[in-house]
Amino acid sequence: MADTPSFRRHPLASSIDFVRWLPSSATSHSGRLLAAAVHDPSSAPATSRIHLLALTEPGNPLVSLSLPTRATALRCSPSVIAASTSSGSLHLLPSSFDSDAAVAISGGAGFHVGPVRGLDCGGEEWVTAGEDGRVHVVGGGADGRVVVTRVWDGKGMSGYEAARWASPAEFATGGAGCGVQWWDRRKGHAVVAQCNGIWGRGIVTGMVHSVDIHPSRKHICVVGGSSGTIFAWDLRWPQQPIALSGIGLNGMYEPVCESEVWEVLFDTYTQSSDIISSASTRILPVMMCSEDGVLAIVEQDERPLELLAEACAINSIDIDPQNPSDVVCALEWESIGVLARDRRAAAYELRTEKVP
Amino acid sequence: MPGMPTDGGGAIVPFRGEPGLGLPPPTVRPIHHGVAPPMFRIYVSWSSGNLLQVACLRAPNSEGAGGAEEVAGSVVEVNLGGGGSGGSESEEKIDEAEMRRIEYGSVPAFALLQSRKNALADAAALSRASVPDHAEWWQYVLEYSKTIGSLLGNADCPAAFMLEDPKAILKVREKPTSLRAAWELLEIFYVDKQLQGWLPERLVDWLADFDSLLSSMGSTTYSKLSNFQKKFINLQIIEDDPDYWNGLSAALSVGWLDTVVNMLRFHGSYQLDQMDNRETENGLVEAVVVLVSTMPRMRPNLPTGKLGQCCKTRPDFIKAWEKWRGQVTKLECSAFWIQCGHQKTRDGLKNLLRIMMGNIKDLTAATSNWLELFASHFLYIKPFTVGFEGMHHLAQKCIQLKPPSGTNGLTGLFIGVLSENPEVVLAECTNNFGPWLVTHAMELLTADNDYADIMLHEERPNLGGISLEELHRLVYAQVLCSHSLTWQIAPTYLSSCLNQGLGLLEILLLKQPIQDNRLVLKTLEICRLYELDNVSTNIMKVAGIYHWKHGRKGSGVYWFQQAHDKVHLDRIAQLLFERIGKSVTDDSFKQWEGLLELLGPDIGSAGGLEFLHRYRDFKRSLQQALDGRSGEAARKTVDFLMQLMRNPSTPQRFWLPLLHDSVELFNFKPNPLMDVAETTLLLKKLRELSMAKLRPDFSSNHLPSHALSSVKLALASNLAYAILEDP
Repeated sequence: MADTPSFRRHPLASSIDFVRWLPSSATSHSGRLLAAAVHDPSSAPATSRIHLLALTEPGNPLVSLSLPTRATALRCSPSVIAASTSSGSLHLLPSSFDSDAAVAISGGAGFHVGPVRGLDCGGEEWVTAGEDGRVHVVGGGADGRVVVTRVWDGKGMSGYEAARWASPAEFATGGAGCGVQWWDRRKGHAVVAQCNGIWGRGIVTGMVHSVDIHPSRKHICVVGGSSGTIFAWDLRWPQQPIALSGIGLNGMYEPVCESEVWEVLFDTYTQSSDIISSASTRILPVMMCSEDGVLAIVEQDERPLELLAEACAINSIDIDPQNPSDVVCALEWESIGVLARDRRAAAYELRTEKVP
Repeated sequence: MPGMPTDGGGAIVPFRGEPGLGLPPPTVRPIHHGVAPPMFRIYVSWSSGNLLQVACLRAPNSEGAGGAEEVAGSVVEVNLGGGGSGGSESEEKIDEAEMRRIEYGSVPAFALLQSRKNALADAAALSRASVPDHAEWWQYVLEYSKTIGSLLGNADCPAAFMLEDPKAILKVREKPTSLRAAWELLEIFYVDKQLQGWLPERLVDWLADFDSLLSSMGSTTYSKLSNFQKKFINLQIIEDDPDYWNGLSAALSVGWLDTVVNMLRFHGSYQLDQMDNRETENGLVEAVVVLVSTMPRMRPNLPTGKLGQCCKTRPDFIKAWEKWRGQVTKLECSAFWIQCGHQKTRDGLKNLLRIMMGNIKDLTAATSNWLELFASHFLYIKPFTVGFEGMHHLAQKCIQLKPPSGTNGLTGLFIGVLSENPEVVLAECTNNFGPWLVTHAMELLTADNDYADIMLHEERPNLGGISLEELHRLVYAQVLCSHSLTWQIAPTYLSSCLNQGLGLLEILLLKQPIQDNRLVLKTLEICRLYELDNVSTNIMKVAGIYHWKHGRKGSGVYWFQQAHDKVHLDRIAQLLFERIGKSVTDDSFKQWEGLLELLGPDIGSAGGLEFLHRYRDFKRSLQQALDGRSGEAARKTVDFLMQLMRNPSTPQRFWLPLLHDSVELFNFKPNPLMDVAETTLLLKKLRELSMAKLRPDFSSNHLPSHALSSVKLALASNLAYAILEDP
């Protein structure tokens, strides 16, 4: 349980669902900033908020924005912090951090009904994908108002749990039982490719919790979901997803975890162990966090590199885009963990011993 | 629960049978349920956390319930929270969040100790000859105790980095808590065997750390010194103040040597302008300082900043002790006292010397309560007191000399420990420090105490066959369950309860909210860890129904599939058939495509939905065949049709629509698509259908009346061609 120089836990006295680095353009005089979605069920009635925290002193929030219900997604763009909630609303807080200037789109028939777990920022526009099967694109109008465009209404036939932009015209979603979808707004706002994924433990279908797309390889999605499953989906071979981890999937290595994979992110810090062939076919290293408290790097045909093994779930992770060696994570036991990876010891050295 | 609806505002008032028992008046909580009286029935049940669910129902057909808009009943949630956490009621209040941090932190240590215990037990069972390694076990418990102790705070390190005030008498430290004091006390007596020989000195240290907590019982050395500290800054001549000397004697009597030396150096005779005329006085003060700082102490080491000379072994100590006492006596009999002009200094210093000589009268006067007197005995009168019996005897004597004015959880615990009475220790822990301490401290009590071990593990019929240990763990688990943030750690404790833990764990898991998919997955993860497959199936079914009812059909089907719930999937399939049966020819079928996609390629798991999948394939293929009119596509469509007709899961009411859709295929030219056997099968099905028509439960479909005859005709002509083609 003890903290080490490279990993510190900061207790926060309420449940932390998501934590994100703020882009450094938003850095104030108090140093690097974090955004966290917190939920406190012990107060009556239960309160949910977005906190803006200084990395040096996460105990005292600098700014706090109240949410109507528990946050189901949190993302930061250089200009806006956005959170969606379990009642289907979306809240946009400008980076001036003036909570009076926050814009809210309330949940309901005109927007989402129920939790919105898919949320991502792509330049000027936000995509939201909810468990009600609706997909919206939210953009800013010229006069400072927000414009909501309904891309799709699945009428509850399929529910989405994750969304990620690939380009201003394309995004990917994932959900319960329906795998991953690739949407192209140029082709009539429709799903242009679909993949059910590969799931471990002999199950046919699972729940996708997180999708990430590498900024420089926009045709590859990495997907994390149920039963420790992580797979990559290359649009060029849409029927052949590549297993990265999962029970009984990649034969010679133990799966990195057997429980829910809550979040996956392409790890720009870890060098691929096979630099020569990494040119185009290999999937780049992926960071994941899970319900059983594992924070690890997984790579195609490699032994996973475990960075943390906590006693409680890690609900959310984020890699600082400016300092990719620094990772922040939201721990189930009411604390934020900050992991500083050693900049000198590259992960490459740690993995020189390969399994024959 | 005895309760009755009142006529008044519709509030529920708890109804107590026996008034006048001196019980506090019951708390009344008005509930706004919006159901007009009279009330027919009220159900009260626990929801998650502190929430109470109250369901209020009207009689189904009570008079006056005319309008449809009358509410027939409602369920309201009442939060009973507000203060009552499982934390301890001590002077240094631990707030709820801090208590939760301690609770979280103690889970890994507890789980590790339990798994080690089980491993040792397994090893012992395997090799009966070798007794479980006792020494090893003791080390494990000590490690556990240290881990938990570190969660409760660290008294040795300063609260924050700060420059020390040169005039500070008491060091600024992290505020001690009663919880930590109790934990350390139990560790000292029950676990730490290594330091058993130096027990008296450890108790002196313990008192030094936690003396401030005893202030609730009356004055303490700590309170005397902190009061003097406030006064000190404004004092001109410090040695004229009686509180100065009182503070000094109190600090010396409990062995705070560094404080004594520090305070003595504030004596006026040290000031440069007074040195000349108070030379003798200053010499006496300095002589006492030297004696205080060289006092022999029976302990292995001293933390930095503490004074005295360490003696690790008894002979060393006796030698040093004799020598030191000789020096004290010599100073007391010195002729210099007559030359000391300052009366108060002379009396004060002589008092300090008498304390060092172990004069019981002066010690009793200097100390503030029996615990301090107890500690001073170890320092100045009986440094070799060992064993519980001796200590208990001494404690009794101290209590007689200084009767306690009030009670404090710590003193009660102290007496319980000394009287070698684990029952009392457990009761004191329960009453004063809450279920967290009891649950975790039981491991300390049983570390090396066979009597406590038997007492805690004996199964008791009056407790329903569970042991005391299990009872306390269950109580703690209940406290954890009552908070929606800590319920997730309760399974660790429930799983260590062999008799009732698993049953309660199942109830706990089944009671978790299922509205949020993420929370459901967290609950299912616990089911997976404890291999509770039945429970997880139930949770998935409930989640499926919830999502289905709330219009999230996809999520509903997903959960039913995960639960392998054939019954519900079949019912969903029936619902879908109703829809499709009505609109079989138009393309509203497209609406269901998403759902079919969700069901995945493995139709086996989808129960009755399997039909829909095949039906979709058939419709698609038929469309292609009719558009392209190619023989290959038509043949494929016929294959799909035959599969559908052969499959028992295809509902009978779809037979005719299927055949009617395929009429054009039967008339396919130039060659018939079906052979004799296939056509015969279809004709057989048609006859079966005509028979079924006579039954009352037959559901007719929306096909034109000539549909049957046109199908018959087409099949007949196909049969004719097929017979001709048949070689």
